[in-house]
Amino acid sequence: MKSNSIAVGLGVLGVVFIVLAVLYALGVLQLFTSGPGNHYKHAILLVVLAVASFVAANFARPKTV
Amino acid sequence: MTVAQALFMGLLQGASELFPVSSLGHAVLVPSLLRWNFKQTDPSFVPFLVLLHLGTAGALLVIYRDEWVAIIRGFLTAALRGEMRTDSERLAMLLLVGTIPAAVLGVFLESRIKSLFASPYEAAGFLVINGLLMLGFEQLRRRAEHRAAASAKSRDEQEAHFAQAERISFRAAALVGACQALAFFPGISRSGITIGGGLVAGLRHQEAARFSFLLATPVILGAGIVEVPQLFASGVPLGEYLAAAVLSGVAAYASARFLLRYFRSGRLDPYGWYCIAAGLVSLALLRFSL
Repeated sequence: MKSNSIAVGLGVLGVVFIVLAVLYALGVLQLFTSGPGNHYKHAILLVVLAVASFVAANFARPKTV
Repeated sequence: MTVAQALFMGLLQGASELFPVSSLGHAVLVPSLLRWNFKQTDPSFVPFLVLLHLGTAGALLVIYRDEWVAIIRGFLTAALRGEMRTDSERLAMLLLVGTIPAAVLGVFLESRIKSLFASPYEAAGFLVINGLLMLGFEQLRRRAEHRAAASAKSRDEQEAHFAQAERISFRAAALVGACQALAFFPGISRSGITIGGGLVAGLRHQEAARFSFLLATPVILGAGIVEVPQLFASGVPLGEYLAAAVLSGVAAYASARFLLRYFRSGRLDPYGWYCIAAGLVSLALLRFSL
């Protein structure tokens, strides 16, 4: 399924994941964590999700020959 | 924990991580049955497990070193191109899709589940369930073989009707990946669930094992690496733990080599029966304090 709007949506999702990763790494966000502090495990996971979103966005982008 | 206990646990972890018999279940059950009184809630136990996992992941990286180079290259090429053209590129994307659900569930649920089901009784019970699952997977597979390869005479001919890991669908890869989260229940085997899932998705036994081991590597390695800072906490006997990790790696290497050969024609059934027997015997021993 190739569509510019899906590609843009996935790109935006990737940026959201990056922002969330930074917030977890800084300890600002504590959602679904074991307690206060810096949550690097959550941050790394969100970076991986961001990379996956950017890859998916590139796959969804219509290619010009 | 004594040096001998640490080395034994390293050997146990390395051997049982890749066999479809649940390393976590054995790690909970065996010390309890042997009446070893080291506490798994001790702060120095986490770094110990971290090193054992890194040993196992290291063994898998050694076995699949060439394949991982091709997978990483394939991932980068396909990601930048926005299109998959080769088997390595497809396998790289399948592994990404399979790893994400396990990683998400692992980060958000693992510690909660493990703390809820940490007793040896529950581990023994889940080991029985794991055995039943292995037998169930093989039963489903036999039906598929009957449909697809009714005329096949030998196991090799039967297996030839099924696919390589690169041909699994993305939906199935995500589902198999998500099933890895079941292994947070001590007694449920991560490799067993993923090999079984691969079989149901139509892979050959050997290819299901290969996909399972490839899928395990980033999860085990990632889970180990993020905990590395804990190794440098005070009071951690790093030398003993490193020796156990090396032993774990050697055992994992030997296990993987054996299993890849075994699954050319072998099935999950013996491991299923072993888990049922081990679970029931453990329950009896624990119940009657033998």
